[in-house]
Amino acid sequence: MAAIEANPVLAEQEERAATRRWSVGGIALDLLTIVYFIFALFPLVWMLLLSLKTPDQLFTTYFRFTPTLDSYRAVLGLDASGSVPFVRFFINSLIVSFGAVLISLLVGVPAAYAFARYQFKGGESLLFTLLSFRFAPELMVIIPIYVIYQRIGLFDTHLGLIWVYQLITLPLIVWILRSYFQDLTPELEQSALLDGYSRPQAFVKVALPLVKPGMAAAALLAFIFAWNSFIFPFILTGSNAQTVTVGALSFMGGATPRYNLTAAAALIALIPPLLLALSIQRYLVRGLTFGAVKG
Amino acid sequence: MPRGYRSSLTDTLGRRLSRRRALQAGLGAGAALAMTGMAGLHFPAAAQDSAAADVTGDFDWKRYDGATIKVLLNEHPYSDALKANLQTFQDLTGITVQQDTFPETNYFDKLTVDLQSGQATYDAFMLGAYMVWQYGPPGWLEDMSPWIQNASATNPEYDWEDVLPNLRTSDNWSLVVGEPLGSGGQYALPWGFEANTVSYNAEVFDKLGVKPAETMDELVELAAKLTKDAPGAGYEGMYGIATRGARQWATIHPGFMTQYSREGAKDFELQNDVLVPVMNSDIAVDFTDKWAKMMKQSGPANWTNYYWYEVGTDLGAGKAAMIYDADILAYFQNQPGGSASAGKIAWHTGPKGPDGSLLTNQWIWSLGMNAKSQNKPATWTFLQWATGKDHLRYAALEGNMVDPVRRSIVDDPEFIDKMKGNQNFLETFNAIIDDTKILFTPQPQFFDATTLWAGALQEIYGGADAKQTLDALVEEIQQATE
Repeated sequence: MAAIEANPVLAEQEERAATRRWSVGGIALDLLTIVYFIFALFPLVWMLLLSLKTPDQLFTTYFRFTPTLDSYRAVLGLDASGSVPFVRFFINSLIVSFGAVLISLLVGVPAAYAFARYQFKGGESLLFTLLSFRFAPELMVIIPIYVIYQRIGLFDTHLGLIWVYQLITLPLIVWILRSYFQDLTPELEQSALLDGYSRPQAFVKVALPLVKPGMAAAALLAFIFAWNSFIFPFILTGSNAQTVTVGALSFMGGATPRYNLTAAAALIALIPPLLLALSIQRYLVRGLTFGAVKG
Repeated sequence: MPRGYRSSLTDTLGRRLSRRRALQAGLGAGAALAMTGMAGLHFPAAAQDSAAADVTGDFDWKRYDGATIKVLLNEHPYSDALKANLQTFQDLTGITVQQDTFPETNYFDKLTVDLQSGQATYDAFMLGAYMVWQYGPPGWLEDMSPWIQNASATNPEYDWEDVLPNLRTSDNWSLVVGEPLGSGGQYALPWGFEANTVSYNAEVFDKLGVKPAETMDELVELAAKLTKDAPGAGYEGMYGIATRGARQWATIHPGFMTQYSREGAKDFELQNDVLVPVMNSDIAVDFTDKWAKMMKQSGPANWTNYYWYEVGTDLGAGKAAMIYDADILAYFQNQPGGSASAGKIAWHTGPKGPDGSLLTNQWIWSLGMNAKSQNKPATWTFLQWATGKDHLRYAALEGNMVDPVRRSIVDDPEFIDKMKGNQNFLETFNAIIDDTKILFTPQPQFFDATTLWAGALQEIYGGADAKQTLDALVEEIQQATE
């Protein structure tokens, strides 16, 4: 506050902002924002309510009911009704999603750097081939992959899913990071080379630290896409490597819908991407906009 | 004369499917069938020599001790009962059963991909009787008749004749499009089933002094009366009748197809050796119009979004006074703790047709064997145990495996005792069982045709003219099969 009072420019900006806030347009904007948040968050609130209800309250109550954590206990296998090994599915999802992102970063970051810095024959084609993995509907390729996985023993394994998830995570990481590397001026690395750095050292010690926000944003996006993948784990796993996206549906049951359990499972499944997003939040805003101005 | 399905199997599979059809089919078995047809393949299942012939000597449960088989299951009370009793089988035979269970929402996609790939990941699997019409012709299903008939492969207590006759028939098909069920190979074994009847909240009926309807017109009147009077009698928000209404094949097969057939209408007719859709016959138009109007007047507000779950939960939550759907759908709601209406639900056959008909359509969860399985003898050992008397009795008494497919279990005093809390369930079951069968004409485009049919029903519900809509439906089904 003292700084604002001491700085007439800041004080003027603050005054203008306050005036805008109480104008008709400002109030309308605030209202629209609130409406949007209600619209966006209501499904989550509804899921939370469902997850706190008992089965007999599911279809007879809306907001007034006696909340219980029984659904969470059942989903986590802490009571006798927990017939679906959700914790195992959860761990599977963590393994394959982190594994897929890690490999994509190991492969994709140098690849993105190379695409940004070097002109080589077939480079653009290669880049678009990578992008085409995102264009192709998963259903189109799933049967050949299924047959191959059966034959080479990757069906229902973590490694198999990590591998196939590269179709999801690698293009994202390469394309996003390429634009970050393009935004870095090459003079920085050239200066490092003049100082006696080798090209790999210039990449690791100069370029890489500068695109950390981009790496965080790209890794988070890749993780979310991998975490939410349904078709690949659905077709390419059995009971062993099944993930939360498939496993959560198992709570629906064949006789009666158990929306309380499905909602609890979905909310638990929300935790890792949410924690990850919060933990790298300081990189995110900068990371998501940093490479946006360069195509 | 409109063009229809050709009744020759070779012709049907040899024809080119339109691009639109292939796209519509997507990953479904329709596309699988089309691909098989386009590849010019024939039908090995019909021609192959059964591996059952290799099993000789005395039957022995332990013959395949040490073998491992893999089974694909759908998340369901039937598979819950199997898993609870699986150790019994493993102790009896020494065969290890590895099972993968997937939710029903996508179960058949999973199964179709595996069968289509030819990898035989799963030796045995759950399937519905309708799926035989799609999985059978490409040769994906093992004909189990030779296994049943081989005394060396099948235990003497198996007693195939104990399985209710119409259920045996339902999984028994010649693979010839349009030809009735009941001849040819036994491509699946009935495991558990559901008959489509009326289930109702007996407390509401008693309070309002009404009884279940005996004719279709009475059903329309009763549903309207319940919608009008139930809210005033202390059942706020209650409406008359729930049925499925989504644009999906499963909207047609429960109550709708049951009453449609009782009224005398058919889905297809064989005319000059050509299978012709007849959903636009006078009887069919009259009934469909009546059904749609009943749902408009006395059904749920968002009926076109009603699937299995919504129908069941509305009865359980006390929102629907009655439903016309699977008997077990109401059974699950009636179990202690199952819903707010538990203990209050009663069953009735549903309205009779003009000639007194009690024809009832059924869904049968069955067990099938992969024709490409490398472990057929061990798989058959599992299948005969899973569909045998001991396990099914255990599943009916200890689990929720109703309706039983075996007469010995239906008549079992312990089972009768168990079902006493379900008012008129067994009485209804016994009244309709001889007329309970698959009422559709067997043909591989079943799922696409019935989905279109459900779409037409929705249009009529929305106010479209029934005759014009059903004429268009017939035309569309014919075009889709060109």
